[in-house]
Amino acid sequence: MSPPQGNQITIFFNGKLVPAYESDTVASALYRNGVRIFSRSFKYHRPRGLLCVGGNCPNCLMNVDGVPTVRACITPVHQDQQVKHQNAYPSLERDYLAIAQRFDWLMPVGFYYKTFTHPRVWHFVEPRIRKVAGLGVLPEPDGQPAPEYDHAFAQADVVVIGGGPAGMEAAVESARSGGQITLIDERPELGGHLRYERAGADKARELAQRLKALPNVEVLSNASCFGLYEGKLLGIVQRRPFGSPVRERLIHLRAKHIVVATGMYEIPRVFQNNDLVGVMLRTGVQRLIHQHAVKPGNRAVVVGPGDPVVEDLRSAGVEVAAVVDVADVLAAVGKLRVTGVRTKTGVIACDLIVVCGERVPHAGLLSQAGAKLEWDEGRGAFIPTGLPSHVAAVGEVTGESLAASRSPTHYSSAKKSFVCYCEDVTSADLEYAIDEGFDHIETLKRYTTVTMGPCQGRMCALPSIGICARQTGRSMGDTGTTTSRPPNPSVSLGALAGPRHHPVKRTPMHYEHDALGAVWMDLGEWKRPRYYKQQDTSEEKACVEREYRAVRERVGIIDVSTLGKLLVTGKDAPQLLDRIYTNRLSNLREGWARYSVVCDDSGIILDDGTVSRLSADEFFVTTTTGNIDFVKQWMEWWAAGTGWCVHVTNVTGGFAAVNVAGPHARDLLKHLTDCDLSIETFPYMAARRANVVGIDCLLMRLGFVGETGWEIHYPAENGAALWDEIVRHGKEFGLQPFGVETQRILRLEKKHVIVGVDTDALSNPLEADMAWIAKLDKDDFIGKAAIVRAQARGMRDKLVGFVMQDALIPEDGSAIMLDGKPVGRVTSARFSPVRGTAVGLAWVPVEAAADGHQIQVHINGQAARAQVVLEQFYDAQGKRLKM
Amino acid sequence: MSFLVRCPNCGERGVYEFRFGGEARPRPMPQAGDAEWLTYNYVRQNEAGVQKEWWYHRAGCGQWFLARRNTVTNDVLETFFPEEQSHQ
Repeated sequence: MSPPQGNQITIFFNGKLVPAYESDTVASALYRNGVRIFSRSFKYHRPRGLLCVGGNCPNCLMNVDGVPTVRACITPVHQDQQVKHQNAYPSLERDYLAIAQRFDWLMPVGFYYKTFTHPRVWHFVEPRIRKVAGLGVLPEPDGQPAPEYDHAFAQADVVVIGGGPAGMEAAVESARSGGQITLIDERPELGGHLRYERAGADKARELAQRLKALPNVEVLSNASCFGLYEGKLLGIVQRRPFGSPVRERLIHLRAKHIVVATGMYEIPRVFQNNDLVGVMLRTGVQRLIHQHAVKPGNRAVVVGPGDPVVEDLRSAGVEVAAVVDVADVLAAVGKLRVTGVRTKTGVIACDLIVVCGERVPHAGLLSQAGAKLEWDEGRGAFIPTGLPSHVAAVGEVTGESLAASRSPTHYSSAKKSFVCYCEDVTSADLEYAIDEGFDHIETLKRYTTVTMGPCQGRMCALPSIGICARQTGRSMGDTGTTTSRPPNPSVSLGALAGPRHHPVKRTPMHYEHDALGAVWMDLGEWKRPRYYKQQDTSEEKACVEREYRAVRERVGIIDVSTLGKLLVTGKDAPQLLDRIYTNRLSNLREGWARYSVVCDDSGIILDDGTVSRLSADEFFVTTTTGNIDFVKQWMEWWAAGTGWCVHVTNVTGGFAAVNVAGPHARDLLKHLTDCDLSIETFPYMAARRANVVGIDCLLMRLGFVGETGWEIHYPAENGAALWDEIVRHGKEFGLQPFGVETQRILRLEKKHVIVGVDTDALSNPLEADMAWIAKLDKDDFIGKAAIVRAQARGMRDKLVGFVMQDALIPEDGSAIMLDGKPVGRVTSARFSPVRGTAVGLAWVPVEAAADGHQIQVHINGQAARAQVVLEQFYDAQGKRLKM
Repeated sequence: MSFLVRCPNCGERGVYEFRFGGEARPRPMPQAGDAEWLTYNYVRQNEAGVQKEWWYHRAGCGQWFLARRNTVTNDVLETFFPEEQSHQ
């Protein structure tokens, strides 16, 4: 054997230093240093050692650099790598839970469907089972930065999956066309099976060099293709991509043509104790010898047709004691390790059993592409057929190299003949389950969990089908396979989640709020001040009370830049707005604003907002925060195909907006603008353009909080400047910035509805107490027919105001009770300073919607008393906001 | 779900760039009866086969357009603006 490649490095196994070479995998380095037990099995905690050395079985699953359940045999080493065992306590050599094996007679396959059936027994047992079940453990957060993942999007004319000789040749051939070719390979080096065949390394290197020299070929190594999805999209995970700090990169790769060259792999034979440490597949032994220069054992018995592995073993200095036919093997012998093979003629001593297993095409991706897997009796394999036109299969995966006739496979029924290594399912278990009636491959799989472990059926699908066929007397073809689904191999959730982005929207005055002591809240993607800390207190209740009193008694300012804003222009803009909104807008005069709602054709309220007319064919529209995308798309859909001359432009980000409200709002603002703000010239609901501290603004006299006030919209780049000016001049008037929480209380006292909070998917304008807003004498608008129908039918529920008679504050969503039965719900409720008790809005049956009607509100398990109030809680005449 | 949709403006894009706008279906006349409005609001053909439907290019040109798509195979057979007629 030539020495291992690359420099010498050190890694750590359970804290102990292990010397390794750069070309090693975790498994080869550990094996070379004497580790033989690599894991303990899932159910019985049987010791397991290297078996396939190719990433297809669960035997080498370890914790590497904090990541659990990593296949050590295909994970490259790096300097200072931290490797730990898992699923064994206190050690792999001595695992307390191995005692489970003594009770295997109590735990036949499917035992948990027949035991623990009493609820009290289950509740006792379940947390204990949960603690001992499972394989790996996720790392606890330890203050270290979390690993990074990223996403990439790519496309290629031809994608070749598999970097063995067939794949490389396909890539070279495809490159002739001049298109973009991408080759995906799971291993750090190209070559596929050439890498573990004697004298294959040179041929692999030569092919790889030829490939990499081509300018239109991209090679992605350490990359697994886990799925082929609709639209020729391939899902790929690349580990530790070159030049990047990320642990894994998820690549969405769109292809015009796909060539699958994923090859074949070897599976174990089924005989007694076939899972013993020291039983290895032929290809596994070849990998250890040729890829890693590791001597796999001292004295070997080869099971099955022995060439060429006998020569490989001898070249590595391993004595070959015998070559035995699998039909003659009775059992592997040994406790923690193999000590021999029992055949019909006696026990042959050895420390290594090399199993020449059946070879299976790695056809999962082809199944996902829509190929059928047809049983070929001669070849003894399920061969992919019926590929769609954009997918080709080349090389071993087609099954072409399988001998046209082979001898039938023998599956032992002796106890502890393992079929599924992941789930500890033996051939006896499968026979037992089939006897119980689970004789269809789909039910057999689900009942026994065979093929449902980490190997995803790679090792055990064929033997389980074989045993099912044998026991039921059906052919292999009739028994069939279960469905291969992505992701295969498995992919970490971190890779799927990708980079940790948390997009946040900030208004132009965000840092001004920070400086004023804002306590933030999230409203969708927006950050808004919930309230502002005061100089002497930061307690929410106290601060909100101060803000409230400022607005009711002096003047307050709130940042409402998050409102959706649209410019709707064009000669047909009035027509579109009349169609979209329930209110009439075509007769709105220039310089005026109107409030309206948007309904759908079933009469349900979708949004509300204001519309201001700037000129004959220019309207400025506001929507609820967060609804802008929906409303814009809604308007555009209704205009689509009509030929109307109308343009809808989203200007939300282009305009900042504030609401200055309070009895002294005019006194404050009149110093900042030449615009005449007097009641006569600027009445309630007027909308005028004016210059405020040198900034061109649209001022709208609206009354969301029920006081004299102006909603000022102005270019976003002046956001902070105008805010600062108002705050500076406002000191004289006792101006207080107020946040969302205070605004909620103020508007609730005026019974102003918030769409989506006080209304839901069943609310029409009539029942939401907004009958006036639907102008039924208009020509058709969206929802008109439904509202007319609702009017004729009569209301069932109604949105009403209520005051609490008990000193309790309901939570939003509390139930409304009548005669002890829930009949409605509270949508919003807050303590109202002006009423001295909690008030709110609630949906109640129309019979209870009369002024003064008694209702009960379900609060903390009691029925608290409340009374329906039909008028607004504060300034019911609406005098204050018109002052 | 990862098929491609050809936006009439922008060309072939991944489906997540778009917002699905539902089956295209004719809106009743305003004076139509209850049964017709009920069907329009709440009942869908839900065709297993070729369906005419609306799409909005959310992450692109922001245009609404129509498509004919086979809902079983997700083959998008054609896309066109509502002003144009389908070629079928």
